[in-house]
Amino acid sequence: MVLDDLLRRRLVFLSGKGGVGKSTLGLALCLAARERGKRVLLVEIDTPLEAARVLGRGPSGPEETEVSPGLFTVNLDPRGVMDEYVRHAVPTAMLSRRVIESPLYHRFFAAAPGLPDLMVLGKIMTLEEAHDRWSGKPRYDLVVVDAPATGHGLSLLRVPLAASKAVPVGPIGHNARRILAMLRDAKRTTLALVAIPEEMAVVEAVEFHETAAREVGIHTSAVFLNACHERRLTEDQEAEVLRLAAAGADGPLARGIRLGPALAAGRRQIRRRKLTRFYQARLRKALPFPLVSLPYLFEEEMGAGAIRALAERLEAS
Amino acid sequence: MKERRSEAALEQALRERRILVVCGSGGVGKTTTAAALGLRAGLMGRRVLVCTIDPSRRLATSLGLTQLSGRPRPLDIARFRPAEGGAVWAMTLDTKSTFDALIARHAADEEARRRILDNTFYQQVSSALAGSHEYMAMEKLLELSADERFDLVVLDTPPTRHALDFLEAPDRMLSFLDTSILRFFLRPYFVAGRLTLKVATKTGALVFKLVDRYLGLQFLQDLSEFFLAFEGMYEGFKERAARVHELLRRRSSGFVLVASPARPALDEALFFHRRLREKQMPFVSFVVNRVHPDPAEIGGGFPGRASRARVDADLASRLAAIYEDQRSVARLDRRTLARLEVDTREPLILVPELEADVHDLRGLKEVGDAILPPEASGNGRAPRSERPRPARAEP
Repeated sequence: MVLDDLLRRRLVFLSGKGGVGKSTLGLALCLAARERGKRVLLVEIDTPLEAARVLGRGPSGPEETEVSPGLFTVNLDPRGVMDEYVRHAVPTAMLSRRVIESPLYHRFFAAAPGLPDLMVLGKIMTLEEAHDRWSGKPRYDLVVVDAPATGHGLSLLRVPLAASKAVPVGPIGHNARRILAMLRDAKRTTLALVAIPEEMAVVEAVEFHETAAREVGIHTSAVFLNACHERRLTEDQEAEVLRLAAAGADGPLARGIRLGPALAAGRRQIRRRKLTRFYQARLRKALPFPLVSLPYLFEEEMGAGAIRALAERLEAS
Repeated sequence: MKERRSEAALEQALRERRILVVCGSGGVGKTTTAAALGLRAGLMGRRVLVCTIDPSRRLATSLGLTQLSGRPRPLDIARFRPAEGGAVWAMTLDTKSTFDALIARHAADEEARRRILDNTFYQQVSSALAGSHEYMAMEKLLELSADERFDLVVLDTPPTRHALDFLEAPDRMLSFLDTSILRFFLRPYFVAGRLTLKVATKTGALVFKLVDRYLGLQFLQDLSEFFLAFEGMYEGFKERAARVHELLRRRSSGFVLVASPARPALDEALFFHRRLREKQMPFVSFVVNRVHPDPAEIGGGFPGRASRARVDADLASRLAAIYEDQRSVARLDRRTLARLEVDTREPLILVPELEADVHDLRGLKEVGDAILPPEASGNGRAPRSERPRPARAEP
């Protein structure tokens, strides 16, 4: 259901505190969308990463690459996007090369506040709007953006508004307003937040939603709570574990496992589970849209298998 | 006992240095670590200011306060019985108002000040946009380091995707503010009040034609006004940036690099460590948070007085599964961390993933105890944490 709602849009931004598993979730979301027959593009921003590596490919580059059938990735490096823009804007290759190599361009474009962010968003808009030349169909049915973590993520989304004020005329100002309109179009664009059951991550998700809604006017459709510890013992068993652990019980449990350490592990699991439940309740109360809980994955490496497991969980949500 | 070496280095830094910069990529517990270290130094008897640069007010949360102000605010640490003279203040850095104050202080006159503060372009630069957080953090550091109230400033760094941005953003910002090139183009334009680009090179003309075409006349006007207004201040900015760099290179400063066992966070810390060496900046220690404890090592019962017990088959198999899951995560951490130790040849301080969330002073105190065992700091009065020591990564 949540997935249906999310996949109705054409552009999904994912954001949340650093380290909450945004990239992993982004990839899982793309896989789930592809299962439904969509052509999907996963956009990473300035991370020579991750998505393609997880699928056993080299890191994504500045060109859109089909990493598995129907699934494309691209890594947008702001500088590269700006250079591309200049090449597009300047009529001849020789001139554009001279601009790109000039120190003035370096200083101005590389440091001008917000300009790299604006360029990246512009490129995302271009990708979202791209059509196949022959069939006239959209090149992608869904674009998922693995946006930067909360702090920078917010300034990224704020840039079009700031730019449309600072640059009232000209193509940049015009593009800024088009980007803003795209971000504000709830039928086209939505934001999904990612958190884990921890105080800071939850606080940031809530703040992000509030600020993004108030200052940018972007619609949020779901919050994903990663790394949830689910109940693995019955209520009676939990009580017994806590009692035995408090009494310092020990003895053999199974081959190679002593009861004492296993009780410590059990007690830890119980605490994590309760914490998970606490933050689930808090998010439900604070946010006016659905919460999707995803399990903690005890994988030795975050590989393709784990991502697929997550994608299946998304499908079930 | 190489772990002791890094703990001793950190302990000594808390006791003696005047500035500690806490760096790391987002999500590794940087703010919490900075606050916990600041609290610990306060308990050791120092007068500490913890400063965070923080759009989402996270330090406030971890200090159990709803909001921190841009001014240092004393924390009530009496209940932890600090050593004599110890006190802790906390503040967040408000980038915009720091920038405004800076302009007010250094502008040539009231007219110049107004011209900058009212400039649309300045308003965008000074708030929330890339680079200005880092730049202002450095400016603030300079100011705070001269504040006699504090003998240690712990600086949490902005939540950048790349930890290194903190060191490099100010240079980028300065390079942007460097009017020597831009002024050359913009002055004739501004003075004439219309598009009369007198430029020395063809490329320069082309760049400005582009800027005009893509950004428009109004923007160019704002921009040139901004640069003209900044003209007299640039040298001062540059001079202070150089002083901050000098300050950070002193032996009385130090960098604490925070990471987690996740691969991207570790790579980031490794890279940062290398850059510190290149820039000859004083490294203090690595703190790796969220290390999953290995249940096989943390044990459960107390040898000697353990009561033997049995559980039924169902509970036994469930507990065994939980136990094995936690072991496999711990093993993964250990492998990744061993790699970091080999690469940096620096021992790591490992902090176990906490069982409870940290969002008040008591929690911060516990984090501090997990980073440095209380007896090591000579605080003496603090009770020994009941939490088991972290599982160590063996090479």
